[in-house]
Amino acid sequence: MAEPSANGGGENTSAADQKAVKGWLADLARGSRLWIRSTVAAGTVAGIATIIQMVLLARIIHLGIIDEVPVADLTPLFLGLILALVVRALGQGFQTRFAARCSEQVRRDARRQLHKHWQATGPVELGQSSAGTLAREWIDHVEALHGYFARFLPQMTLSMIVPLLILALVFWLDWLAGIFLLLSAPLIPLFMALVGMGAEKLNQQHFETISRLSGQFLDKVRGLTTLQLFGQTAGAAELIRKRSDHYRRITMKTLRVAFLSSAVLEFFASVAIAVIAIYIGFGLLGYITYGPSEDLTLFSGLLILLLAPEFFQPLRTLSQHYHDRAAAMGAGSEILERLDLPVNFETASEMASVEGSEDRIELRAVGKGFRTDQTVLKDLSLTIQKGEVIALTGPSGGGKSTLLHLLAGFMAPDTGEVHLFGEAPGSFRFGWLGQKGFLVQGTWADNLRLTTPDASDIAIETALRNVGLGSLLDSRQQGIYSPVSEEGQGLSGGQARRLSLARIFLADYDLILLDEPTAGLDSDSEVFVLEALHKLAVAGKTLVFSTHHQALLTLANRVLLVSGGEVRDA
Amino acid sequence: MRELKPWLDLIFKRPGRLVVGGFLILATLLSGIALLAVSGWFITETALVGLLLAAGVAATINLYVPGGAIRFFAVSRTVFRYLERVYNHDTVLRLLTDIRVALFRRLSQASRIRRGELSGAQWLSRLTSDVDALDTLYLRLIAPAALAGLVTLAVVVLAAVLFDVGTALLVGLLLVIALLIATVGVYLRTWRLSARQSDRQEDLRTAVIEHIEGFPELTAAGRTGKHAAWLMRQAHQVTSEQAKADTRVGWHLAGSHLLVNLSAVVALWAGFALFQAGTVSGPVLVLLPIALLGLAEVYAMLPDAFGKLGATLASASRLNRDCREDKQPGTPKAAGLPPETALLAENISVKHSGYAPLFTRFNLEIESGERVGILGHSGSGKSSLADVLAGLLRHAHGSLARTDCVYLTQKTVLFEDTLRANLLLGSPEASDTELWGILEQMELAERFATEPDQLDTWLGSAGSRLSGGEARRVALARVLLNPAPLVILDEPFTGLDAETRGRVSKRMETLLEGKTVISLAHGSEALPGTDRVIYLSG
Repeated sequence: MAEPSANGGGENTSAADQKAVKGWLADLARGSRLWIRSTVAAGTVAGIATIIQMVLLARIIHLGIIDEVPVADLTPLFLGLILALVVRALGQGFQTRFAARCSEQVRRDARRQLHKHWQATGPVELGQSSAGTLAREWIDHVEALHGYFARFLPQMTLSMIVPLLILALVFWLDWLAGIFLLLSAPLIPLFMALVGMGAEKLNQQHFETISRLSGQFLDKVRGLTTLQLFGQTAGAAELIRKRSDHYRRITMKTLRVAFLSSAVLEFFASVAIAVIAIYIGFGLLGYITYGPSEDLTLFSGLLILLLAPEFFQPLRTLSQHYHDRAAAMGAGSEILERLDLPVNFETASEMASVEGSEDRIELRAVGKGFRTDQTVLKDLSLTIQKGEVIALTGPSGGGKSTLLHLLAGFMAPDTGEVHLFGEAPGSFRFGWLGQKGFLVQGTWADNLRLTTPDASDIAIETALRNVGLGSLLDSRQQGIYSPVSEEGQGLSGGQARRLSLARIFLADYDLILLDEPTAGLDSDSEVFVLEALHKLAVAGKTLVFSTHHQALLTLANRVLLVSGGEVRDA
Repeated sequence: MRELKPWLDLIFKRPGRLVVGGFLILATLLSGIALLAVSGWFITETALVGLLLAAGVAATINLYVPGGAIRFFAVSRTVFRYLERVYNHDTVLRLLTDIRVALFRRLSQASRIRRGELSGAQWLSRLTSDVDALDTLYLRLIAPAALAGLVTLAVVVLAAVLFDVGTALLVGLLLVIALLIATVGVYLRTWRLSARQSDRQEDLRTAVIEHIEGFPELTAAGRTGKHAAWLMRQAHQVTSEQAKADTRVGWHLAGSHLLVNLSAVVALWAGFALFQAGTVSGPVLVLLPIALLGLAEVYAMLPDAFGKLGATLASASRLNRDCREDKQPGTPKAAGLPPETALLAENISVKHSGYAPLFTRFNLEIESGERVGILGHSGSGKSSLADVLAGLLRHAHGSLARTDCVYLTQKTVLFEDTLRANLLLGSPEASDTELWGILEQMELAERFATEPDQLDTWLGSAGSRLSGGEARRVALARVLLNPAPLVILDEPFTGLDAETRGRVSKRMETLLEGKTVISLAHGSEALPGTDRVIYLSG
């Protein structure tokens, strides 16, 4: 279907961007460095235990075969060997345990950062992004960090430590064999680059193919009704097959090359083992007359052979985890893009000006614009008495919403001051009703206690009846303790808005701000909303709402016309 | 495991590829083990011969065979590994195609109403991830588990041949336990955590979306902090369950690794007894423990895959549930239609399940060739009525008969495909001339004649973007190409400006010559020419 499809790839991230993402990942790592260090420590313990295991194995074999020591005399060595195995297993187990903990903490930190940013952004700016996108960042992108912190990052360090330990030991045993390993060591950064490039390309290619295939497939599933209407489902199935097959062939061409890079690592590891085995064999036979080979014994020879695969193993593991890095970089760049968005909300509640009268709302010379060339409100001064019901009317884009947002403290004015009953906007609780009602999955009581946690059952029921949801409540078996949406039947837009209004009733706020409270409502809901607002007005609440609705305008005892950046009594 | 059956059947439709792929993996694993084992044998042999030579005893050793074998295994491990990866990725991509095509066929058999419930963006993204979970079933789970079993058997047989049956049984016992820990054990300890992971994540997503939608209200009430803390706890529960599963997988991996290593120790211990009794030579004594150490690598990939099996099973059962075939709502038939009548609805009710009926006792009789307009404001249920007339939605009561029809739905649905493919849906046999003809009538010919690919212009996100009005006209053109004698048009001119609408509407008069037309709209200006108009109230 001809809709822009969401593309999760951050393939075109620039170098500067990459650097920023790396910096951000490093910051996260610093926050959990204790767990990362523990992971590396456990991995190192496992590595050392592996080396000891190999030393004991070679020792036992040497003693038993060359020196023909009876098995019974080898018992201490055997026990030591088993101990080394157990330590190795413990090291491995704790490594994954610490890694899991580390990733857990990193994800929590990242989520906290994102949430702090949301709060700093404020409800108005946040409303510019879709809830789905924000949720994806908060859930999926943060999840994508898991592999990097749990696997790649510790393995990065381990793939330096363990091979170096092994190399040192092999050098001590036989420097020529050490040189064989060392010869491959300068190649290791090269391997890494090769593997990295290969893995990155592989990952990217794989990702593109999968997302294209998914796109094609989902496109057809989404339009299945249309295909059925034209009787074309069989043709579409054939098309999916053909397209998939086509992508497969293209992908395989790249994969054949991409897999070569990891084959190179595999090849060097295998060849190094073979070369070392043959060198040691010839050395033991005495065929090699130079170098340290005449000192070779079955012990040292066998030990070098046993250690050679362990030398390469950390690198092979690292190459397997390489895609974790790519995934974290991709997700990280999108999260960072969000975190780098400017915030200007916090200033609103920080405005420490507690002067002004306690019984009125005052705006003094307030100005607000969004871009330098566009001023929404200019030099606005306005006084609203406590208990007044104010209707804001005027053309759309005239600044009604901006004025409400300023009163709510959802944004700060560029110039001037706003005082609400002697306090700064946003510094006390008030009622807000947006154009969309808001409900959470759960019972009616859950929904109302969201903003008033200690409300009594009776108060909740009264509030719901006040907004005309009484009959709906009566039809539910468990009253306020029945789920709001039952059997897939949700609330209509009007009912949802009334639910939000019920929260305002329940909380007993002094100030209530409402953005077009009746826009787009069915006639039933409209009547109930009007009635409810009337009740609130009678109860002496200060109400400010934007509207075009005639019945609401008559409800107000003061109508303000907001137009062209100015506000005057209508 | 029953959930997997339909998908396993699909996977096993390619036995040849699976066997070849499995053989390549096996060859890689065996090469790796053999490389180390033969090297160990060779070093021990040379050490012993070297000692004899040093002592002046005449001894000979065949360097050719073991040397050659070591070189061969070093190369074969690399080559088989490479071939295996290329070949098996190809297989996975083929399976991916098979699974998608099969799933699509099943979905197209599923009832339209149920699919209506199952088409939200969330459902689609979940469908994708569920399918992905099955794509890798063979490569991640089936092949490694089967081959680990096979290699284990081979090593145990080797132990019986080289050492004795008693040692082989003991080693075999340890290996079987290690294998169980790495497979069944992991599955049993993680399936619950892993199966509900996806549901937990979806619940969390809903909660996050609710939080963001309620952000202004929560901010006003000073509750964002509290609610966010609750969200963080929910998220933390999901991640900590995941961490728990990961940790269990890790311990099982370590445990199975420990047992594999222990089996090598046992083999060495038993081997010494045989060595000192003279039944086993030194080099052979070394060969078996080293081969056993190599098994650790074979088992290493299992725990992770089995840790995800719970999630894979949950995916499979979701797909089985959502994509089950079921009866289509009976398409209204022309049978029982009086002559010269295109549609006859008697006493029908229109209702969505779980909701109050939109209409009851609705009657409509339309003569062949008649042009009927149906007007109703938004929310009056006219699109549902159109769905019923077209047969997309089953009517609750009464009877409905009509001739073959073509239906332009209120929502414009174009596919990410070429313009030609999108138009041919309406009339698969249409020639290019016919296609250009209809585009001309819809005032789109010029728009596409200037595109480099003309009729093959790609529509959709990857290609040329159409405006709402253009997309609507493409959809309209597709319907007009169709030969069905009854045409149902729901808001045919959405997104068209008044002038274009007037011209297109006029041309449709001739294009629809001789056909019966039912058009539905919110206002009379949005209707093409009509003979009579029905007003829907409420």
